[in-house]
Amino acid sequence: MKATVPVLALIVAALLVLSQSIYTVDQRQYAIKFQLGEFIDAQTDAGLYFKIPLVQNVRFFDRRILTLDAPKPDRITTSEKKPLNVDFIAYWRIIDVRKYYQSVTGDEELAKQRLAQTIRAILGQEINKRTIHEAISTERDKIMTTTRQRADADAKQIGVEIVDVRLRRVELPEEVLAQVYQRMESERKRVANELRSQGAAESEKIRADADRQREVILADAFKQAQKIKGDGDAKSSAIYAAAYGQNPEFYAFYRSLETYKATFRSKSDMLVLDPNSEFFQYLKQSGGAKGVPRPGSK
Amino acid sequence: MSLNDPQWGKRGRGGPPDLDEIWRNFNRRINELFGRREPGDSVDTGEPPRSRFPIGGVGLLIALVLLVWLASGFYIVDEGRRGVFTRVGKYTETTSPGPRWHLPYPIEAVEVIDFSRIKTVEIHSTNPSSRSARGLLLVTDDENIVDALFAVQYRLKDAKNYVFNARNPDDVLVQVAATAISEVVGRSQMDFVLYEGRGEIAKKVETLMQEMLDRYGTGIQIQSVSLQDAQPPEQVRPAFDDAVKAGQDRERQKNEGQAYANDVVPRARGMASRLVQEAEGYSARVVQEAEGNASRFKQILVEYNKAPAVTRERLYLDMMQSVLGSTSKVLVEQKAGNSLLYLPLDQLLKQSQAAAAPTASGDATRPATPPEASVTLDANRGRELPRSRERSDGR
Repeated sequence: MKATVPVLALIVAALLVLSQSIYTVDQRQYAIKFQLGEFIDAQTDAGLYFKIPLVQNVRFFDRRILTLDAPKPDRITTSEKKPLNVDFIAYWRIIDVRKYYQSVTGDEELAKQRLAQTIRAILGQEINKRTIHEAISTERDKIMTTTRQRADADAKQIGVEIVDVRLRRVELPEEVLAQVYQRMESERKRVANELRSQGAAESEKIRADADRQREVILADAFKQAQKIKGDGDAKSSAIYAAAYGQNPEFYAFYRSLETYKATFRSKSDMLVLDPNSEFFQYLKQSGGAKGVPRPGSK
Repeated sequence: MSLNDPQWGKRGRGGPPDLDEIWRNFNRRINELFGRREPGDSVDTGEPPRSRFPIGGVGLLIALVLLVWLASGFYIVDEGRRGVFTRVGKYTETTSPGPRWHLPYPIEAVEVIDFSRIKTVEIHSTNPSSRSARGLLLVTDDENIVDALFAVQYRLKDAKNYVFNARNPDDVLVQVAATAISEVVGRSQMDFVLYEGRGEIAKKVETLMQEMLDRYGTGIQIQSVSLQDAQPPEQVRPAFDDAVKAGQDRERQKNEGQAYANDVVPRARGMASRLVQEAEGYSARVVQEAEGNASRFKQILVEYNKAPAVTRERLYLDMMQSVLGSTSKVLVEQKAGNSLLYLPLDQLLKQSQAAAAPTASGDATRPATPPEASVTLDANRGRELPRSRERSDGR
């Protein structure tokens, strides 16, 4: 039992030494082993590794895809000498950890600065060559691919691979924006006016068509009606002719009587009569003026 | 103590490890350790009995520390999560939900990540100058500007890739979304983005995003991309709203025109059929009348032919009676010299008209009046020609 304390101390000391001499490299990391500041070895595979305590030390570097997010958009002039605000995102990865360490001393911020400068310069050149429309739409893909390839070639020197360069915002600068808004507004006004007058025109067309249909329908109906009436008139004329033709003289007499009856039948019709007419022959004397009365004359 | 002992590995890989075995194993190793330090003991003891091990202070302490250390290897993977398992930093497997045990730190480690939960992100602008925008202010192919708000739903499809391939994959997703949206919208016309093409735009963004995420090996699966809102920028919104209104105005005007047509044309049809019907009615009436009159005439004609003179006289007198009975009349002897006779015809007419009015209205009084009327006629006759109300009534 007296040996307890030294044994314990020994165990602790052993563990301490052990913890200083082994290290694990994570799947997400690279490691570089230095001996008194001198590069010895780079571990690119995950696993358990040993080092000599105090003499050797280890630094770790991320092997995942890292993001380079441009802090603010760059103002780049296009081939038509118009300004464009462009901002990009780049994804990069350390592929040669030794080179990376040597060129940027393993400082991620420094590496980012370096990469951002490179990409910005290349992007500027690429966009300078193109018009706004190409940069925004048709050649955007090409700009991104070319920039990636060129930046990647440069980044190889610091042991970095550029996985991708993407244009995030391709914007028109503030002062151009006002003009764009004005143009958009006037364009919409044009559209609105066009729509309204189209509406009026179409409405008028429909109305006119309806009016035309009405006229046609009514005219048609009138024609038909007149024809029907004419048929009736013709038929009745035929009937009358057939009947009255049997004795035209009597018809004239009979019809005249009918007409007299129909004509003089109101109190407002004033007749001024001569009592000497045949009609009144019996009014004066019961024998009558002559033999047979003549009703034809009044 | 050799950590690279193959036995460790085997136990770690299998299901829940046999604790008894581990305990025995450790005892053995510790015995070996102590055995080496205490020269008295034999090193090659196959199975050191527990009773022989000093259960004193040190042993107990060590055993306790070991126990705690071992217990720290327990973990539970909740439903919907995955454990990403690494042994000395190297990925070995992805574990599914359930209670698990791994060799404690620093040998094995597990990172439990949220796996099947669907996450939603709205893509907003990071540019402080476009704070007024709801989503992103984007330039379209026709160099107009739209304000579009996209939402992305995603979940993980590969836990290993998610953990190991990119730093902050969720941030990467947002960035990728922003660039993909900007690219897709940049290739489209404004009207397409704002109105008819919303679904298609979202679909294209989704495809592009997934392609990029796969290229970076983020282990993220896009569930859906939706264009929540696409509007013109605030500065020009009134003009756009007005244009939309104009479209509705056009429809309204068209509908009004149609309504007019729907009113006028059927009315005209109705009118047309009325005209035709009336004509047919007229035609029928005229023919029937003709037949009626003709038949009457023929019947009379038959009788007339039998006795022309008498019939003629009778017809004439009938007519005279009818005519004289219903009209006003004045008898004037023409042969009584050339003295000028004054007849106030217009006055007479006026009176007779005034007399006709009440008769038209008051039918009930009519039968009572005739007798008295005929009397007054004679009384008034000589003196005053006006006041012929009763007289005319009487006739």
